[in-house]
Amino acid sequence: MGRYLARQTLHLVVTLAGILTVTFFLVRMIPGDPAQYMLGDYATNDALAALREQLGLNHSLLVQYGLFIGHVLHGDLGTSVVTGRPALLEIVQSLPDSAILAVAGMTIAVLVGVPLGIVTAVRHGSFIDIAVMLVALAGISFPVFWLGLAGILVFAQHLKWLPALGSSSGGGFIEALRHLVLPAAVLGVSVAAYIARLTRSAMLEVIGHDYIRVARAMGVRESTIVWRLAFRNALVPVLSIIGVTFSYSLGSAILIEVVFSRPGIGTTILKAVSSRDYPLVQAGVLALAVIVVLVNTALDLLYAAVDPRLRTR
Amino acid sequence: MTTKASCHSLSRRQFTLGVAGAAALNLVAPLARAQGQPKLLRVRLGSDIANLDPAHIFQVENQTVATHIYSGLARYDEATNKIVPDLASSWDVSQNGTVYTFHLRKNVQWHKNFGALSADDVRFSFERVLDPKTGSNYVGQLAAIAKIDTPDANTVVITLKAPNSGFMHKVTNLNQGWIVSRKAVTEMGDRKHALNPVGTGPFVFESWTPGQEVRVSANRSYFGGPPKVDGVLFRVIRDENAAATALTNGEIDIFFALQEPGVIARLKDDPNVKVHDRPADHTINFVLNMTHQPLDDLRVRQAIMYGINRDAIIAGLFKGTKGPAYSVLTPAFLEYTEDVPKYAYDPAKARALLAAAGQTDFSMDVIGVGFSPYDKIVVPIASDLSAIGIKTRIQVLERGAYLQARSGGKIPTAITGVVGAPDPDNPIISMLAKSSFPPGLNTSHYAGVDDLIANAAAAQDEAARKVAYQKILQKSMTDLPLIPLYADRLFIAHSNRVQGFVQNSLFTMNSYPVSLA
Repeated sequence: MGRYLARQTLHLVVTLAGILTVTFFLVRMIPGDPAQYMLGDYATNDALAALREQLGLNHSLLVQYGLFIGHVLHGDLGTSVVTGRPALLEIVQSLPDSAILAVAGMTIAVLVGVPLGIVTAVRHGSFIDIAVMLVALAGISFPVFWLGLAGILVFAQHLKWLPALGSSSGGGFIEALRHLVLPAAVLGVSVAAYIARLTRSAMLEVIGHDYIRVARAMGVRESTIVWRLAFRNALVPVLSIIGVTFSYSLGSAILIEVVFSRPGIGTTILKAVSSRDYPLVQAGVLALAVIVVLVNTALDLLYAAVDPRLRTR
Repeated sequence: MTTKASCHSLSRRQFTLGVAGAAALNLVAPLARAQGQPKLLRVRLGSDIANLDPAHIFQVENQTVATHIYSGLARYDEATNKIVPDLASSWDVSQNGTVYTFHLRKNVQWHKNFGALSADDVRFSFERVLDPKTGSNYVGQLAAIAKIDTPDANTVVITLKAPNSGFMHKVTNLNQGWIVSRKAVTEMGDRKHALNPVGTGPFVFESWTPGQEVRVSANRSYFGGPPKVDGVLFRVIRDENAAATALTNGEIDIFFALQEPGVIARLKDDPNVKVHDRPADHTINFVLNMTHQPLDDLRVRQAIMYGINRDAIIAGLFKGTKGPAYSVLTPAFLEYTEDVPKYAYDPAKARALLAAAGQTDFSMDVIGVGFSPYDKIVVPIASDLSAIGIKTRIQVLERGAYLQARSGGKIPTAITGVVGAPDPDNPIISMLAKSSFPPGLNTSHYAGVDDLIANAAAAQDEAARKVAYQKILQKSMTDLPLIPLYADRLFIAHSNRVQGFVQNSLFTMNSYPVSLA
């Protein structure tokens, strides 16, 4: 376990260094200038030069990169160009809203997607299988922002059951929950489509094995076959699917935050990109990368708990 | 069979619980809302704020929030655009028109315990804009000032270099006209103050959550009397359809700055919503870079003017929600005139002018910025120009890239409008004066009306002023450094809960007169 964790930590460091480097140069390749963005059309060359110097943008790109890495090694991700507050603090403050959305969305996705995947695998070729897979195909095909807009149109505009905005402006826990329902449901449904399709494939593969056929021939109850023999063995691929879709759900959460005007890391990064707030973009991408790597590491550890064979490898 | 039954019932149960949950939340939430909460006015902003420093402020979202926080020496009456007292209770102008003496209200307090307003704060505010170290966008607006004296704590004497009939516009409550506290700016520093502003206005800045919301609270000791609401929450909602649904669902109270004709029509049909509509102080223009061949040839610019079907753009793209533009001024200005050269859509004449100029085969980039409606308007422009034989290439740039490209001054075309006060110098100097590039918005590099602008400033009375500005408009519409596409109209919608709302023509909004039923 110790060696495993050391390897994962090294993996994490290399991944993050790569992501930081790519992000650093990528955001600077986008046309546009943070100083110009902040000061507008009338900014004099002197004012622009002064602000660039203040923001450290007057150095060459390589010097900026060297300074940036030096600061990162000291735990300093810089200050936001727009707000002047520490970039890491801005990102950390925006994380809880995104985490609530991602966890609520993933909970819905797992609760809907896994049972549907199992049912369609067990009833392979039936009407239910075809119908659910068609709906899942639609769920995957429609982009999540379209599902969000459609959700607003149906549930907020026509039925008036739920608010159109993804966050409340006061009113306590119940109001906050009410505003969370629609974005979380849209995210959940979108991710559930993936989980249902992949769970079905994993289950079909397991159901096709000889030991399932033998169990059936021996008259083992169907519920035992499905839950104890098939699903238990399909759990490792299903867990890895959930890990992969968690990364997808984080990406989708960014779009959902924008559609539903909800605060979070997505809204923060989007605004940072449009205002060329380089430190904030870097901190945001780094935070997302850390989350994805940590979730995948946690799932790797969970595999071992679920499948004893993996512990000895 | 067991599996099927259990999964089926689970799904149904989930569905039932979901619907019941949503219904329960729907019932409980309004009760929770109703219980003794402060009267918070919720206003939609289409994009986030970035800088609330009067020396650097631009964009209507920043200006709208700042309107609630700061005061000017004078202010525009929102209904009539007349200049009326604000921090100055009165002012005198010397016989020769060069000395303005402002008498300040007494006992006006700065927000957040920064003390009492004094003449020194006014002097500090204007000198700060004029100081090259500040790098203010608005140095040119106050360039007429020779010196500022403060004989006592409540008197400000401003001496001009020469008589300037439009000077009061420069010290009225917008941009450089907003007064800041010397103590607050000095203690906080420019950068911190820009996003923690201290003013004397009806609302006190409370907080900004980037990308999400801005909160201001009522200034109970405002010199004009306390506001009728306890605070204002500005929420950033980019999508207009989502904002319209939020308005009709009661999630916001005021929908600031509608643009989409479909959304305007939808809200006009809603009996619980009131849609206000007023001509704005700006036109949207297709700017032609006169240093760019063959746009340096007047005949080519005339051809482009004749070749764009502006009426069709207003009727088709905007469904009649914009007005026709004949110059850079709109009917909202006292100096407005329609007695200027007019160019009705005439593609045959456009082709003939191009042939006369020997330009029957040239290419041109039509460049717009990537937000509505400027991302769309480039399409009919390019289409019309293609029809008269100009090969066009559409480029829609993201805002940061657009700002950089336009500020570089090398792009052949741009879409530009100057939103602001009903001061004719605002669009005229910004887009037509040689001094307005670089930096600035005169990306046509035009210099044909500078002497006329000086004459207008020296005009002694309203009649002379009107004549002087008429000459500027006639000359600019003869030279065509830009093509006025349409006169903007500002649409603002609010729910029937909102009472007392007054729409201005500045493309901003003010919550001070508003109450909630």
